[in-house]
Amino acid sequence: MGANPNGEIVLETKDLNVFYAKSHALIDINVETKKNNVTALIGPSGCGKSTLIRSFNRMNDVIDGCKITGTVLYKGRDLYHEYNIEEIRTKIGMIFQKPNPFPMTIYDNISYGPSVHGINDTKKLDEIVERSLKLAVLWDEVKDRLKDNSLELSGGQQQRLCIARALAIEPEILLMDEPTASLDPIASAKVEALILQLRKRYTVVIVTHNMQQAARISDYTGFLYMGRLIEFAETTELFESPKEDLTEKYLTGRFG
Amino acid sequence: MGEFMTVRFHKELEQLQLDVLKMGNLARTMLFESIDALVNQDTDLAEKIIANKDKLRQMDATIEERTLHLMNLFQPMATDMRIVACILKLITYLARVGQYGKDNASIAMELSKEPHVKKLVSLPYMRDLVCGMIDDALKAFETQNISPITKISERDDTIDELYYSIFRECLTYMMEDQKTITRCVNYIMVARHLERCGDHACKMAEKIHYMVTGEHVEIK
Repeated sequence: MGANPNGEIVLETKDLNVFYAKSHALIDINVETKKNNVTALIGPSGCGKSTLIRSFNRMNDVIDGCKITGTVLYKGRDLYHEYNIEEIRTKIGMIFQKPNPFPMTIYDNISYGPSVHGINDTKKLDEIVERSLKLAVLWDEVKDRLKDNSLELSGGQQQRLCIARALAIEPEILLMDEPTASLDPIASAKVEALILQLRKRYTVVIVTHNMQQAARISDYTGFLYMGRLIEFAETTELFESPKEDLTEKYLTGRFG
Repeated sequence: MGEFMTVRFHKELEQLQLDVLKMGNLARTMLFESIDALVNQDTDLAEKIIANKDKLRQMDATIEERTLHLMNLFQPMATDMRIVACILKLITYLARVGQYGKDNASIAMELSKEPHVKKLVSLPYMRDLVCGMIDDALKAFETQNISPITKISERDDTIDELYYSIFRECLTYMMEDQKTITRCVNYIMVARHLERCGDHACKMAEKIHYMVTGEHVEIK
């Protein structure tokens, strides 16, 4: 894949613990993601991978009873105390399992974020829409129907639209929580190819249930099990010769 | 993978491993017996070895097809992936070993009509050492334990020395009596085949080492 091991560390956790009302969802997580790399998080359901990715842009803040200890650093500064939430939402975009375009036109889906950030010049917005859709490899498919309702797009197109929407506000990091789980194989392949393209400009963290997908598109992979980060390594190493017995068992289907 | 699919995959993988051992046994026996056929000028045995070539080729093709099918269906990872990769390499090396056995058997047929230049001692000895290396590689594959193959490189050095020794010995005979040239060149060919089989045992050991430990090593 061509991991960039010398890249700047953009996200880092130190002894991160996350508690929901009664459960200890993440236990002493120490992990780092480097610039222009794709980092995949894998593990069985309930292992904490979504909780971890959500803690990278403070999505857990909105959950009642959620308590967080330890530190999450974004570019060396405390994500939870040294940034305001708007800054984080701008710099760290998130894509979810089910495409969730706004019920408005394709154009408006993309221009909405920049408008909220004060860009009202039509020409500038046109540029942003075109650039974002091109980055998401959707432009050629929708350029003649920008005023159509986004809900008329196919599932795969909707997901790429959501990615384009996230890119419109020029984030540095894209968090993806099972972005292809609800897509057919062809649409999934397009999103995977897109992720590989995006990695040149952005840092990507992706949660996936599909181990082959993690192996195909990521540079680093972390395996979580019951709230702990069992192993974190370069993707080829983790999938070919995992060091930890639990990782080996998971990858070979002997549990989970 | 669901539990049922995992069980199915591992069952099929185990069966493939057993079939690789069967193929290994056939290839190794072809090589071993080819020297018996040569030494004892036993043409029946030589013919049997030559006939086994088709069976070996069939096993090679079938195992390869089933392994690719398994990869296609289950996309194995970690140890499972390394076993699958090892099987695909091993069958190629084993097919070569069997092929050399067949080539030796053809030479045995050719040299069966007249007496040997001298009593053949070094070739059976060399054969025993090479087959020992192949046996140990197969044992390591079967038990997923690399201890039988840790010294295989040094053992192959001995094989190389034996090859040169046989080569020099044959040169002497050929210089002494030109009528021995055809026979001696064939002895050298057989020794060369055995030497190559030693190399194949080393290559097998490399792949088995990777399968067991996950680390690539270069043995030769």
